Amino acid sequence: MKHTVSLKIALVAAGLALSWSAAAVAHHSGAAYDMEHQRTMSGTVKSVNWTNPHITFVVESDATDGEPARMWVFEVSSPGVLSRSGWTKRSLQPGDHALFRYAPLRDGSPGGFLLRVKLPNGQDLGFSLMPTDQ
Amino acid sequence: MKTVKNKAAALSIVVALIGMSVVSRAVAAPPDLDGVWVPDVKDQGRQETANVPPWKPAIVPQIERLAAEEKAGRPFLVLSHCLPHGMPSWMLISHNAFEWLTTPGRITMLGEVDGNRMRRIYTDGRAHPEDPDLTLHGHSIGHWEGDVLVVDTTGIAPQAYIAISEAVGVPNDGDMHIVERFHLEKPNVLDDELEITAPKVLTAIWKTTRIFRRYPDRHYEIIEGECVQEDLVPGKDEYGNDIFVSHPQNPDGSVRTQK
Repeated sequence: MKHTVSLKIALVAAGLALSWSAAAVAHHSGAAYDMEHQRTMSGTVKSVNWTNPHITFVVESDATDGEPARMWVFEVSSPGVLSRSGWTKRSLQPGDHALFRYAPLRDGSPGGFLLRVKLPNGQDLGFSLMPTDQ
Repeated sequence: MKTVKNKAAALSIVVALIGMSVVSRAVAAPPDLDGVWVPDVKDQGRQETANVPPWKPAIVPQIERLAAEEKAGRPFLVLSHCLPHGMPSWMLISHNAFEWLTTPGRITMLGEVDGNRMRRIYTDGRAHPEDPDLTLHGHSIGHWEGDVLVVDTTGIAPQAYIAISEAVGVPNDGDMHIVERFHLEKPNVLDDELEITAPKVLTAIWKTTRIFRRYPDRHYEIIEGECVQEDLVPGKDEYGNDIFVSHPQNPDGSVRTQK
C-alpha cells in the first residue's frame, strides 16, 4: 500500500508531461496520459533513447492469443531524474525482456508514460522527482 | 583608584568585544549555497493555481486556450525544443536539478537538460551592459543583503517564456526585468522569491516564490545533459573510430521525438 501511494505521489509529481502524435512522442504535460487507468504489459526492449528532455523506450510487446506483437513507445522522465533514482543508462537495454507498468495514452495509440519496470531477475525500477517519494 | 582603573579597563574590553561583534556581523560570510538543488515540483504544481500571473487582457485568452488544450489531452509544449528554458521558466517550472557554484566575483548555476543550461550571476559589482546581446537567460548581477542574495536580470530575449507549467505559458515579448531574492528558508531549503516585470504581457509585477531542496547525504550530482541522443546512436566511421551516427528511426517502429 505504501508502495502504491508513494508511486502515485511520484506520478502526480512527474505528471504534467508529454504528448503523442502518430509515430512521435512529444514532451511535457501528462495530459495525454491516463494516470487513473494504469496497466501492465510484457515485452522486449528494442531501443533506448536516453536523452533530454525525456527518455523513451521502444518495446515490442509479447504476442498473445488475442494480440500480435507490436511496437510500443514508452516515455519516462529525464536522465537526471532517473539517475538520482538509482538507474543508469544501462539499467534497461535492447534485448531485455521485462514487465512494464504504464499510464496509457488517452487516444489508444500503443504507448504510454512508463511508471515502473520489473526485470526477470526481480529488479524493480521506479523513479521519483523528489527524493522524499523514493 | 585601582578599582576605577579596573572598571575602566573592563569597560573598554566590553566595548571592544561589542565592536568586534558588530564588525564580524557586518562582514559575516554569506551562507554557503553551493551544491545540487532539486526543485520542489509539488509546490510548482500548487503555484499553478495559487498564484496566477497578472496577465494582460489580451493574453488571457491565450492562457485559457492553453489550459483547455492541456485538459483535453493536447498539451502545448512549452519546452518543445532543445533550447535553454530561459528566464524565468528555468526557475519556475523545471523538474531538473541545478548545481550552484560560488567562485570569486560570480555565481554559476549549471543545469542538466541541455548542453548549455547555465546562468552566470556576477557578484563583482559590475553593472549590466548598456546594450547587451539578448539571451534566453539574460544578464544577471547579484549582491548580498545580509543572508539574502539579490539578483537583477535584464537582457532577456523576447522569446523566453513566462510559463506556469510545461503546457501553459507565453513568450515575454520583450523588455522583461526580473529581481530575485535567494535565501535559505531553513538549512538545505532555498527560496527564490521572484519579482517579474514584463510590460508586454503582464499588467503588474508578478511576485512568486519557488522552493529548491538540497540533500547532502545523498551526494547528488547533476549529470551530463544533452538533447539529441535519440537522433544519434553509437557507430563507427571509416577508420573504425567510435562516433555517433544518425539514428535510422521509424523502420522498426521506433520514434522521433518532438523537441
